[in-house]
Amino acid sequence: MSQTPQGKPVPELTDLTRPFWTAAKQGKLVMQKCSQCGTLDFLPKPWCIECGHLDLEWVEVKPLGTVYSHSTARTVMMNYPAWKNDLPFVMCIIELDDGPRMYGQLTGCPPEKVRIGMRVEAWFEAVSAEAAVAKFRPV
Amino acid sequence: MKNSLRGAVAIVGYGRTPYSRAKPGERIRTVDQYIAWAAALALEKAGMSKQDFDGQGLGVSHAEASHTVNWSAAVAELLGITPRALIRGDQGGASAAAMLIRAAAMIQAGVVDRVLVVGADTPLTIPSIAPGLPLSPERTRGVFWEFQGPVGVMGANHQFGLVQTRYMHQYPLRSEQLGKIAVTTRYHASLHPGAIYRKPITLDDYLNSRVLSDPIRLLDCVPMVNGGLAYIVTSAETARTITDKPVYLLGCGEVSNYYSGSRMRPDITVTGFVQAAPEAFRMAGVQHEDIDVFEPYDDYPMIVLMQMEDYGFCKKGEGGKFVDEHDLTFKGDFPVSTDGGQLSGGQPGGAIGGFMPIAEAVTQLRGEAGERQVKGAVVAAASGFGGIPYARNARSCITLVLGSET
Repeated sequence: MSQTPQGKPVPELTDLTRPFWTAAKQGKLVMQKCSQCGTLDFLPKPWCIECGHLDLEWVEVKPLGTVYSHSTARTVMMNYPAWKNDLPFVMCIIELDDGPRMYGQLTGCPPEKVRIGMRVEAWFEAVSAEAAVAKFRPV
Repeated sequence: MKNSLRGAVAIVGYGRTPYSRAKPGERIRTVDQYIAWAAALALEKAGMSKQDFDGQGLGVSHAEASHTVNWSAAVAELLGITPRALIRGDQGGASAAAMLIRAAAMIQAGVVDRVLVVGADTPLTIPSIAPGLPLSPERTRGVFWEFQGPVGVMGANHQFGLVQTRYMHQYPLRSEQLGKIAVTTRYHASLHPGAIYRKPITLDDYLNSRVLSDPIRLLDCVPMVNGGLAYIVTSAETARTITDKPVYLLGCGEVSNYYSGSRMRPDITVTGFVQAAPEAFRMAGVQHEDIDVFEPYDDYPMIVLMQMEDYGFCKKGEGGKFVDEHDLTFKGDFPVSTDGGQLSGGQPGGAIGGFMPIAEAVTQLRGEAGERQVKGAVVAAASGFGGIPYARNARSCITLVLGSET
């Protein structure tokens, strides 16, 4: 992972993970779906974690979910110092309506207002020429 | 039970080097030096020499500093030992416990009679993930950091903060209850010459310590140190010829990548100890009330509390109440983390802290804990806890039951 000009880490893309990042850059949330049992999963895996089938297809998922848990960052730990400019910010585990969970920042909501079960939608912030990260905001 | 390891092996020696915060002016030692130092302490305790391990077993824990495809054999070369069998620990903070189980199985199978198990790391000199550091591909692969760093996840504080928030949503838990664990471990650290933070703290100190990642406070967080640990395990027969204080492995249970519920939506407040602990207790033939001292994996108070529940010392969700109702000190009715834990003792990297519960359990069962000795301790439970899976909790969970009698 190299650094962006803003000094935050950016993902190194591989053939496995590129579809996720480039779709995000185009404003879409995509995840792997097992072509045998239909299981959706995140993060990218080499086979289906339910049935072991190798053939996984990238499909668009609804960019909607709920806050499963949250923790507000008040200091930079084990990450790049440029995050300091964003403190405090709310980190969540988001449970997507289509199933999987993912880490995501919650924006547009002060730390004291965040609640488990809060409805959120994804938006995308470009971090490199190829990639964007999914963030979430209340709906 | 089929293939029971009960009583097959015993720990006959252990060593824990002094820890270093690598402050300016301190001597900086390498991983190899810490390994040799810890091994020397363990050999001295057992009255053995390194020659006793030629043709026997050597176990080596992974360290952040050890990016090589044959680290355990490299350690054999550095120590000048010619082992018949190598064991490589690759389960983070569960590595030490995992290697004890592997060693026991090899000894019971007759592959070797004894194994020297070592581990050290120097995270303050060679960090794994740190601000601005380029990340090695293998490190990124293992922790999926490319899906966390760019999103803003602040390491274990955030990961455990998310677990703790969810826990506090599902169950009653007050900060004071976690604080009691932090205060108790610090009290024990004040009685352990090797602990890195020894000045006692009060509950107010805990409650007033600054929040780093809600609800994780500064005094919830494990301090990294440079250091090394080792232990020696032999067949029970050999152990009795070496020492009059063998500490037997009575039971073990292990699970990696446990899901509580569905793979897609597991309950992250439950760890694999709900499976590992009953397995270990069954093998040992012990009940909860038989455990004289509990040495959990103790880098965060929340993790300690979850182990109290998932071991079955109390019901899920009643860990806070359990903490209220028990004296957790070495003098109390439920002694926990009697060495000061990793929380106040220090964590020699993400893979080596798991040696500490074993070292302290053995120390207690041999009656060598000095000021913090639990009176009459004959059975101990100790944990290994390794890794944090993506948006979940506890990759490897291992329970060991150790005893001074079979």
